[in-house]
Amino acid sequence: MKIKFKIKRYNPAEGEPAEPYFQAYTLDVEEGMSVLDALLKIADEQDTTLSFRRSCRSSICGSCAVNINGFARLSCATQVMPEYAKMGDMVIEPLSNHVPLKDLIVDFNPFWSRIEKVAPYLTPTSRRARRRGDVPARENDGARVTARDEEAIDKSQRCIMCGCCNSECNALEIDDRYIGPAALAKAWRLVGDVREGNSRKRLERLSEEHGMWNCVRCVHCTQYCPKSVSPLKQIESLRSRAMKEGVLDNPGAKHVEAMADSVKRVGRLDEAAMTFRTLGFLRSLGMIPFGLKMERHGKMPKPLLFPQIENIAEVRDIYEEAERLEKEDRERKKG
Amino acid sequence: MRAAIEAAAEGLNVAVVSKVYPVRSHSVAAQGGINAAIKDTDSWENHMFDTVKGSDYLGDQDAIEILCKEAPRDIMELERMGAVFSRDPSGNIAQRPFGGAGYPRTCYLADRTGHGLLHLMYEQLLKHEVFIYDEWHVARLVVEDNVVRGIIAIELRGGKLHRLHSKAVIIATGGYGRVFHTTTNALSSTGDGMGLALNAGLELMDMEFVQFHPTTLKRTGILITEGARGEGGYLLNSLGERFMANYAPTVKELASRDVVSRAEKTEIDQGRGVNGCVLLDLRHLGADRINERLPQIRELAINFAGVDPLTEPIPIRPGAHYSMGGIMTDVDGATKIKGLYAAGESACVSVHGANRLGGNSLLEAVVFGRRAGAAAARRCLACAAPEFPDSALRDSAHDIADILRRDNGETASALRQEMTLVMEEHCGVFRDSEKLIAGLAKIRELKQRYGKVSLSDKGDYFNSELLAVLELGHMLDVAESIAAGAVARKESRGAHYRTDFPRRDDREWLKHTVVRKEDSELKISYKDVNISRYEPKERTY
Amino acid sequence: MALLRYAYYPGCASHEITKEANETTIVVAARLGIELVDMPKANCCGAGLLTDYDYPLSLALNARIFAEAESLGLDIMTICSTCLMVMNTANRDLRNSPELLEKTNAILARTGLRYGGNVKIKQLLWVLAGDYGIGNLKKQVVKPLNWIKAAPFYGCHSLRPSDALGFDDPMKPWSLEAVIEALGAESVDFKGKTKCCGFQIDLVDEETAAKMTATRLLDGKGKGANCFVTPCPFCHINLDNYQSLAEKAASKKISMPIFHLAQLVGLALGLSSGEMKLSRHLVSPEKIIK
Ligand SMILES: Cc1cc2nc3c(=O)[nH]c(=O)nc-3n(C[C@H](O)[C@H](O)[C@H](O)COP(=O)(O)OP(=O)(O)OC[C@H]3O[C@@H](n4cnc5c(N)ncnc54)[C@H](O)[C@@H]3O)c2cc1C
Ligand code: SF4
Ligand code: SF4
Repeated sequence: MKIKFKIKRYNPAEGEPAEPYFQAYTLDVEEGMSVLDALLKIADEQDTTLSFRRSCRSSICGSCAVNINGFARLSCATQVMPEYAKMGDMVIEPLSNHVPLKDLIVDFNPFWSRIEKVAPYLTPTSRRARRRGDVPARENDGARVTARDEEAIDKSQRCIMCGCCNSECNALEIDDRYIGPAALAKAWRLVGDVREGNSRKRLERLSEEHGMWNCVRCVHCTQYCPKSVSPLKQIESLRSRAMKEGVLDNPGAKHVEAMADSVKRVGRLDEAAMTFRTLGFLRSLGMIPFGLKMERHGKMPKPLLFPQIENIAEVRDIYEEAERLEKEDRERKKG
Repeated sequence: MRAAIEAAAEGLNVAVVSKVYPVRSHSVAAQGGINAAIKDTDSWENHMFDTVKGSDYLGDQDAIEILCKEAPRDIMELERMGAVFSRDPSGNIAQRPFGGAGYPRTCYLADRTGHGLLHLMYEQLLKHEVFIYDEWHVARLVVEDNVVRGIIAIELRGGKLHRLHSKAVIIATGGYGRVFHTTTNALSSTGDGMGLALNAGLELMDMEFVQFHPTTLKRTGILITEGARGEGGYLLNSLGERFMANYAPTVKELASRDVVSRAEKTEIDQGRGVNGCVLLDLRHLGADRINERLPQIRELAINFAGVDPLTEPIPIRPGAHYSMGGIMTDVDGATKIKGLYAAGESACVSVHGANRLGGNSLLEAVVFGRRAGAAAARRCLACAAPEFPDSALRDSAHDIADILRRDNGETASALRQEMTLVMEEHCGVFRDSEKLIAGLAKIRELKQRYGKVSLSDKGDYFNSELLAVLELGHMLDVAESIAAGAVARKESRGAHYRTDFPRRDDREWLKHTVVRKEDSELKISYKDVNISRYEPKERTY
Repeated sequence: MALLRYAYYPGCASHEITKEANETTIVVAARLGIELVDMPKANCCGAGLLTDYDYPLSLALNARIFAEAESLGLDIMTICSTCLMVMNTANRDLRNSPELLEKTNAILARTGLRYGGNVKIKQLLWVLAGDYGIGNLKKQVVKPLNWIKAAPFYGCHSLRPSDALGFDDPMKPWSLEAVIEALGAESVDFKGKTKCCGFQIDLVDEETAAKMTATRLLDGKGKGANCFVTPCPFCHINLDNYQSLAEKAASKKISMPIFHLAQLVGLALGLSSGEMKLSRHLVSPEKIIK
């Protein structure tokens, strides 16, 4: 079947300043062909100047992520026929949120520096490691990480650093200083490792501006990650670990704390109390002129005016039970 | 990378130069695991015996002894660095059985062992502040008076040539699977290091031994792990017969890789294939078992062959998988050029001999990578930096300008295509004198034509086409070494199977093939095998 | 057509700030013959924030909501995309793992509640485009909105994660467009339609939130939309209430009226702008209402 590919081309060597443009190639596509196969075929047979990254062609090296019909995907793991049947088009562009260097190749250095920012290697403190029994007593004993400990970081270990998540990330789209989902997934890989000795310090760092609390929960990362890493899930793990370890002195954590409190109190979100607690008194004062306008339309949240839900006692019971069971679990682990 | 970490730990100034970003290296694709005798009920001697036997007695036993003895310490070290090997229920490192091993001694990280370890190495590079020159393609090893001076590399991003002046260079460029048409290897596995070494005057050893994996996906050659047969998958021909019953009546599909590959090839050649493939049928295992034990295989089959193994058999065929041969080194990775080392799949120490056991090559990369790094560090601490010849950069620039200047020639991709088909046809699973000699002649003809290859991209930015030309040059050298070694070796041993000499011949051929380049001609010589503990015996399973 | 009945979960925002979404949904549902059964006991789903706080707790609180619907023998209909996403994600996890469901029920045990794993959670958009049906909706239209060019703003949580939600396709969504067109209006395609409005970080990083809102609004405006329509009250808060902040961030006047989904449907069903509570909006849609 003949399919037309529209590929975004760009070559900084072509004039100043070089403008990206679309070039169309028509290709005979057979069943089972991936987008990468198609690109290779075009480069082999029609246009040897076409540039794109590739290596393993089996979705494990992370080289070949591009934007296919508007969404970041591994070109090797996307089959042409079903994609074409669904989208009715074959538009191939470089990843979004990245600067193109040539054709489909983008500058990955910002991606790597984000990863480097989270100090992506285990830093066990020997004392803690020894107390936990992580330093093997005998050669063949292995470090003591239970299957359950492993499960906690299992997903984050699957990352192939392809950049699909960062390409789709809405927070990164607007705030280019944001640390991004890939680095945060890596951060959980370390914070969540029972052998790690600097979890708290890591969490404090991650709670700084443009850090983990800046995720807007758009779920793009989890949706488009080709390896089911679910970066958002890892971000949630980081956040709740921070809540537990008491790393609370930042708007993000305060927001969550206020919410937990509000639900416990009235069973619902109490927007006014939350604004106040998250922003602090002075900053929420700053919102007053704006608040007045909202007020005119009856949109100013009124603290405690709306009623509690029925059976609020049940909600409080649930809080207590969850806490109690967690404590039990922790103790069982220690013992 | 393991070597770099070792050297950096010694306080040296180390850089990794790689044509892909380090986590993209092909080690990332290794699924199965890494071998080590870590249980009380196992021993390094057992591991050694299995490896020697697996190598069809061509492996050097001093090297194998080191490999097996040091394996447990390296596994523990990897775990301490941060790897989490999969656990057994009691919390110890779990091990699975692998082909050719008398004990389940393969440690693994789920079905992503290579990925886990490669990313771990990358983490450690950052931790040790090793400098990374990524997407730099090494174009030349600079050697003078038998002492290495450094390298010349092209920065792909801007096309600039750089000189890296150093006291020691370690080659760890991986395998050459791409020389063959059907291969499990990455597009970047083009044997560059071997080509570079040959041109620098080094010797390559045992190049004719190429492992063919019996189950690689139709069209793409992507590996379907041995586990698929281990779980009970059937191999069927076009008549729907479980043909392995005719080749290995007792173990059937579970026979060793070379045996199964040859059986498949026979079926296909005799007209009982399905579009050049045979079928791997998992359907009788049922959805639960497939989803639980072979999820990755199902994913690969769906994504890369458009076939769901729950409802359809998977088309597979044998494909080039692993390069037993490589740059000849001693047990510290040292070559005969001072300061130049090699490790990993590009090196030949030799621990794999005529046939590699699954799970031994990651181990080789770790153990001998570490040793090469340590040896290189010792040398660096002991000597002053040798001078870097001015001419080197000029010469490289000249070579590249030459390629860029050519017009109206064939494209590299057309030539490469031809080469891979020649290799598959003439140097594949079944070899004989006639095919091999014709194949060697064709490769030499291709080398002539290579001199006139031209390109249409003359730019500096990410010139993939130029890269393809450089890689092709190395691949042709490698192909020639394979073919030349295979023509000469008149016996069948391990992965090298000659229909005209179907038996192993220890009297004549218990020796390593060594090739080197002299005035752009290949010269073959031979070297004795180190035999310390285990005398050659017939290899039966 | 069989009678459609749902356990109605408007979500916290529409209890107060965006109560016009709640009120108009009730009117529109009545007009379409969809019965909405109140859930007076229902607590907040956590809006994702409780997931950050403590996942097991968040699961248990969601299971409490599901248990109430289960006891009514009804599926849930919400008018908030974030509730939809949070509840469906929790439900996915609970249904995928009997072990997790058991653990969660253990937390609920003290309250005497139990969730059996049998509830489905939908939102108004899905009910209209799915259970009710685009064809039937078309038949109810008495005042085709043929002068309206609506930008369909899905936002994030009505589409992703698709393995939990499942109704529409995040790469090629159709439901909101289909509803808009059924109402006789024109749907304006734009890239930002499946992106984030910025709500989740309004209180964490105002600047980014405002810029994000502006980007979405300008995207739709640039493609010729004369209004936005969204199935999510949080998106509405950012796009409408905070539009002035977005304008400031972009140093541009935007003046884009934003409809709740129910409001647009109501107008096409012939309900008045008063009944659709349009005066509650900060950016007045009156000027484009005939
Ligand atoms: C699909 C598959 C599965 C496997 N499974 C297993 C297994 O389960 N267990 C096992 O033990 N082994 C397995 N192997 C074999 C094993 O993975 C390899 O032998 C081993 O990983 C090789 O590692 P390496 O470091 O030598 O090379 P590689 O990982 O290939 O690295 C080579 C590096 O050299 C760089 N390079 C190459 N040429 C140049 C140049 N000109 N300039 C700059 N840089 C260059 C590359 O960029 C790359 O970074 C498998 C192999 C394959 C193909
Ligand atoms: S988290 Fe997923 S999408 Fe993001 S870099 Fe890793 S593998 Fe790619
Ligand atoms: S959920 Fe958060 S991290 Fe993931 S893509 Fe959206 S904003 Fe980025």
